[in-house]
Amino acid sequence: MSVLRPLLASIWMGWQREIGWGNPVVAILARSVAPAAGALTAAIVYWFGASAAGLFDPGRLAYVVVGASLYGQVALYAYVPTSAISEGKNSYVYPQVFMTPSSSIPYLTGRCVASFLESVPVVVISVAVCALVSFEFFHANLPLVISPVSVALFVAAMALIFPSALGLGYMLGSYAIFASKFEWAVPSYIAGTLMILSEALYPASVLPWPLSVVAQSLPFTYFMRASRDVLLYGSLSRYVSDAAIAFFLGLPLLALGLLAFKSGENRGRQKGFIDRKSM
Amino acid sequence: MYARTWVRVRSIYGEPLWLVVGIAFPLFTTFGLGFLYRSSGVGALAGFAVLGGIAVSFWSNVVWSMATQFYWDKQEGIFELYLVSPAPVSAILIGMSIGGFVGTAPSALLVGVVGWQVFGSAVTPSWALVAAGFVLTIVALYSLGMLLASVYLAYGRQAESLNDSVMQTVSMFSGAYFPSVGVGSPFPVSLQLVVSLIPLTIGMDVLRKAVFAPLTSAFPTVYEDLAILAVLCVVFFVLAQWAIGRMRERGRKKGTLVVRMG
Repeated sequence: MSVLRPLLASIWMGWQREIGWGNPVVAILARSVAPAAGALTAAIVYWFGASAAGLFDPGRLAYVVVGASLYGQVALYAYVPTSAISEGKNSYVYPQVFMTPSSSIPYLTGRCVASFLESVPVVVISVAVCALVSFEFFHANLPLVISPVSVALFVAAMALIFPSALGLGYMLGSYAIFASKFEWAVPSYIAGTLMILSEALYPASVLPWPLSVVAQSLPFTYFMRASRDVLLYGSLSRYVSDAAIAFFLGLPLLALGLLAFKSGENRGRQKGFIDRKSM
Repeated sequence: MYARTWVRVRSIYGEPLWLVVGIAFPLFTTFGLGFLYRSSGVGALAGFAVLGGIAVSFWSNVVWSMATQFYWDKQEGIFELYLVSPAPVSAILIGMSIGGFVGTAPSALLVGVVGWQVFGSAVTPSWALVAAGFVLTIVALYSLGMLLASVYLAYGRQAESLNDSVMQTVSMFSGAYFPSVGVGSPFPVSLQLVVSLIPLTIGMDVLRKAVFAPLTSAFPTVYEDLAILAVLCVVFFVLAQWAIGRMRERGRKKGTLVVRMG
């Protein structure tokens, strides 16, 4: 109960911060513009390249669309703890959390959950826009498997990758306690790394060694595969295997993130870093 | 103008981390889309992604360090100093543009060098056309940035919150990473006409033609593109001057020039 109340309050606060500034529908649509544009850019690049090579395949286009719509969202909620701390330092919100006798972990977790809740409709809108544009401009029907079961399994995959994103978020949050500049650049690095290494746009085999090996060991890669297993291939057995690998690879990341954040938080309290504002 | 240029150049070169920070978005996008080109069957086109990364470095600087700068300066209390100084606001904006360009150039260069090392795309540049296209594109882009600075100042937080959307959407429609106008464009002609009003669209078209001549030999209209770019430079510069005047007038009448938003 002592964790649940601050967690729920933080989810509500995060939702208000991200979506509550206006009409929720308008806010979600506004949030979807950049991810949809990014996914469309990747889709057009594939269409242009594959058409030039005479190798265009709608299935592969759907592969790119799903991955391009997803990687940015995972990066987004991994960035939330950093944002909550650095922005919170400047707006004096985070010191109010930090000075309480308990840890900031429920607060940061709640903010991440709010971001996760926001990202689900954003991904759906992004994929829908890409499917519409593909049909209108490329005359290609994306072979997506859309059914209540596939959508439910896809949302479950997003939930199963949450511990990994949270672990990464805690680690970055620990850094944000001490950092006083450039924290806002972090999402570019996370999103960029995920775009290159997590099979967001192409199979890991395209990457040169050792990047291909690194890609195979990331939970995010298996999350991409699990999402495609249900949305493109309709393969439940592969989905279960990939989703399980994504989840279990994420657990050490979560444990490491918690450890890093607790340690950073304790040190921050001892040394008084909370008063150091971001530039 | 010199003073504002100097401040911007010093602020960037005095903090080496800016290079690391500034390079992230264009470099990762270049790599991601370059590998996507390679996996789609035409590795030679990966050079389009590298060229796009270089251009997006500058576009990113225009959006984040030109368009929003006056709004941030207002929030920090610096904008008042600009207004009371005898220097014209347009000179400050030009100084900011020159400083921004000089500060972004190393990041853009690094994206180009690393990108070409990784993807090894064959290029057959016509250097005179590359230079002309590049200079005109930069002038037109920063003129657009000057115009947006006034718009963002007038509309404050609403405009700032759209920054990310503007950045990504313009990158897509302008065809930073693929041809968005002419042969090879996925867009209908009407949309191509609209997106041609974005300087980056025509600029990228010129640069692709000038850098990858054999790949783009089907597009012989590079001189027409240069003429359009020159017109866009003049139009956006004049519009920016007009917008600055309007912004000052509107701010004075409403008394909002130095009012900070919470």
